[in-house]
Amino acid sequence: MPKHSNDRLQGTLDLLILKILNRGGPLHGYAIAQRIHLITDDSLRIEEGSLYPALQRMTTGKWLRAQWGTTDTGRKARFYTITPAGRRQLHQEERRWLSLTKAVEKALRFA
Amino acid sequence: MLSIRKLWNVVRRTHMDDDLKQELETHLALIEEEGRARGLSVDEARQEARVRFGNPLAYRERALDEVIAMWIADTWKDVIFAARRLVRSPAFTLASVLTLALAIGANASIFAVVQRVVRNPLPYPDSDRLIDVDHGAQRLNLPSGMGMTRGLYYQYLSRAHTLDGIALYASDAVTLTGNGDPERIRVTRATTTLAPVMRVRPVVGRWFTDAEGVPGAPHVAVLAYGLWVRRYGRDPGILGRPVTLAGVPTEVIGVMPASFAFPDPRTDVWIAEPIERSMGFGIWTFRGVARLRDGVTAGDARAELNGLIGDLSRAYPGDPHALGNGEQIKLFAAPRTLKEMILGDVARGLWILLASVGLVLLVACANVANLFLVRSEARQREVAVRIALGAGRLGIARYFLAESVLLSITGGAIGLALAWGAVRLLVTIGPTNLPRLVEVHLDGVAVAYTLALSALAALVFGAIPLWRGTPLAASLHESGRGNTASRGRHRVRQLLMGGQVALALVLLVASGLILRSFQKLRAVDPGFDASSALTFSLGLPDRNYPNRATVVVTHQAILDQLSTLPGVTAVSASTCLPLAGGCFGNTVVVEGRAVPPGAVPPIALFRAVAGGYFEAMGIRVLRGRGITRRDVERREPAVVVNEAFAERFFPNQNPVGEHVSSNRAPARAGEAPRFTWLTIVGIVSNTPTMALAEPNPAAQLYMPMSIAGGPDFPVSSLVGPNISVMSYVVRSTTTRSGLLPSLRRAIDDVDPQLAVAQVRTLQDTLDLASAQMTFMMILLAIAAGVALTLGVIGIYGVMSYIVTQRTGEIGVRLALGAEPASVARMIVRQGALVALTGTAIGLATALAGSRLIESLLYGVSSRDVGVFATTALMLLTVALFACWLPARRAARLDPLQALRAD
Repeated sequence: MPKHSNDRLQGTLDLLILKILNRGGPLHGYAIAQRIHLITDDSLRIEEGSLYPALQRMTTGKWLRAQWGTTDTGRKARFYTITPAGRRQLHQEERRWLSLTKAVEKALRFA
Repeated sequence: MLSIRKLWNVVRRTHMDDDLKQELETHLALIEEEGRARGLSVDEARQEARVRFGNPLAYRERALDEVIAMWIADTWKDVIFAARRLVRSPAFTLASVLTLALAIGANASIFAVVQRVVRNPLPYPDSDRLIDVDHGAQRLNLPSGMGMTRGLYYQYLSRAHTLDGIALYASDAVTLTGNGDPERIRVTRATTTLAPVMRVRPVVGRWFTDAEGVPGAPHVAVLAYGLWVRRYGRDPGILGRPVTLAGVPTEVIGVMPASFAFPDPRTDVWIAEPIERSMGFGIWTFRGVARLRDGVTAGDARAELNGLIGDLSRAYPGDPHALGNGEQIKLFAAPRTLKEMILGDVARGLWILLASVGLVLLVACANVANLFLVRSEARQREVAVRIALGAGRLGIARYFLAESVLLSITGGAIGLALAWGAVRLLVTIGPTNLPRLVEVHLDGVAVAYTLALSALAALVFGAIPLWRGTPLAASLHESGRGNTASRGRHRVRQLLMGGQVALALVLLVASGLILRSFQKLRAVDPGFDASSALTFSLGLPDRNYPNRATVVVTHQAILDQLSTLPGVTAVSASTCLPLAGGCFGNTVVVEGRAVPPGAVPPIALFRAVAGGYFEAMGIRVLRGRGITRRDVERREPAVVVNEAFAERFFPNQNPVGEHVSSNRAPARAGEAPRFTWLTIVGIVSNTPTMALAEPNPAAQLYMPMSIAGGPDFPVSSLVGPNISVMSYVVRSTTTRSGLLPSLRRAIDDVDPQLAVAQVRTLQDTLDLASAQMTFMMILLAIAAGVALTLGVIGIYGVMSYIVTQRTGEIGVRLALGAEPASVARMIVRQGALVALTGTAIGLATALAGSRLIESLLYGVSSRDVGVFATTALMLLTVALFACWLPARRAARLDPLQALRAD
């Protein structure tokens, strides 16, 4: 099975995509990338292409729903929306992420 | 993982990949648009898009990989869940796995045999181009089976353009001495062209050169692989060493590969037949094999060979044999493929077996499908809930298919193990005339076939609950109350049950017909007494026993030694035992009857015997007397004929006292031939020559061995068969193993160099004659038995389930005062109706299909009323019993409990 070199990054990317789509949608891939740049102040340096494996996986896993539409400039693009299952996943991931960062923070402070 | 890569290639071609490509292009274009808006040039914008996006192709592949990974994970999850569900219901799992394993195992083993024996019986390159060059003759009323002669060989060799090589061959038994005990072995004498025609090379050493196939050439031999291993321990040093074959020192020059078993697996040694064109047309002592030139059909070859036969008298001017054979008997070529010659009826039998185990698999699938139906109905609620929660049709399909695939894979694996054992058993018990039977094993093709069968089985019984499950959504609110089962639900069930009954009956009828044939065949009077008699063949080498007189004296000395052994009650010998083939035949002349010119007198088979042969064999003397030792000693020209001989040559007459003779050519052309007249002194019962059940028994003539042929009589003098090799028959009260050592000692007293071959009891010979039918009967009976058992289990299962489903209804009936017996009748009637319909369909199918096995039957019509009625009755009885058991349970229900059951 294909393994990603950075599992943590993959998890982060999933979380970011779900978060962005939860706030508003439907969005196409380019728009999602723009939002990621925007909310992370360009500090998370990822290639935009890496969004697509994640989008594809989450769509197959029924966290997202994809629909074809046209962009403002009249191009064909796939627009993603979050599903109820995706929303449940987002809440779970958020809790896990927060508890993890809290633990790491604690560790950093006391070490 | 390679398989994922492959899967990816499949997915790549789907719309999923097209969608992704489109999506990524849009994204890149949008980045470029943004760049252009910031004032970058086209190239710069494109450059920036590349950097920001990364490699689109790589991401496209990774996106698809993600999807596949999820599919695999999901499927795996389904399989694990299915496995857990199956483990939780061990009875269901065990029943289905065993049913499938039995059926799949049977199919795999028969398939392994068919695929080796039938599909590819000849292990030679382009073996479908090989033909058996046989001949027939209109005047002799022989459609085929005459074989070949030297003259025809040269005629075809030099002039037939449709043939790419031709060879002559003939098999003999000779004694091999030197390097261990003397041994009777089978030698095939062949022209040097044999190996090139078959396109086979020796594994060690070389094949004959053309110069070794002419008269006067040094004696050389090529060994069969089996003999090389058995007698010489694979010693490559055997090359160049002399062995003694029939008393002649012969140099071994090569060893053929193990797969080369021509003309049959019994051949131990090939020697080059010394022949040349000047030897003339010759007689019919050979068989021929040839290779068709590419693009030529057997029909083309037949036409050309017949043309060449018409030209024989010009090719062999003045040769009386060529003249006599061509025009007078209206000779014609009867070539057929070598495969046809070797396989004969065996192929048909095996295909029928494969079809019958296929039917068994269908019955097994119907059974498992029924079990599945029960299961799927029991979990209708669960499925309905899943659908309500949004599970797609695909998800539900995967839910059921995961179970059926798991079951069939397990069943297939166990079936393969069973087949492995079964194939080994088949190889041991199979008839020896099955070509390549010893080579049969479960190879890759057979395993692949089994896997494909398992997959097919999984689809068949896995799909039935799905097909049935169409209105599943409705069942959520229906499943609450279930006093009566819906009609549609039972219809599938009853269809499966009826189908099982029909299929089982077809198999039962087939095996019943074969069983009747077998009984009839075993009841055939062989004309001799097969009990407690041992036979063996013994040959006196020409070098030490060069003339008939010494041969007779030696045989008589051995017979005298044998008769003194304890327990031996009778002993004699013959040149040819019953069921050993034609051996020696010639046309017969009756004294006082002129043979009209051009007509060919009828043929009889000649046997030379020692005194007391009929008494030792238990062959009944019907009239006159048998041949005695006195006849042998005094060289009396007295012969005994069998009933068939008497009927053919002396219809409605008493042949005793008449004079007959073996036909012969005149010593000089133009003169009248001089016959040695023999007086008929008795008539004996017929004995079979080739097969137990011969529609036209051969005319046979027995003569004292002292007046027959010997090593000092050329075959062309045609007095009678050569008596150098005789088959002995020893009737005794001692067992075979007790007799053998003393028997060997008795022969050693005369000559320790003599080899004893083909030791067997007369009963063995009889059994061998019906071996093929026994083999078919056993296998068909097993197939029919398994089908019947599975069918009965199926009926029982269905009826039990129906009773369970109707428990509430039955409770109501009983509570309202219905008689238990009438309740039982109601249930049985329901089952009986299905069983009767199934039986009717089965009978019709069997009636239509039984003609396919007609050629395997003996003495039984393929529409034998007795067999059809018996098997149908038997099946119905068993089916009714299977219905009655659940019915009895229904009748014994306590109405109160029954009503409460739901």
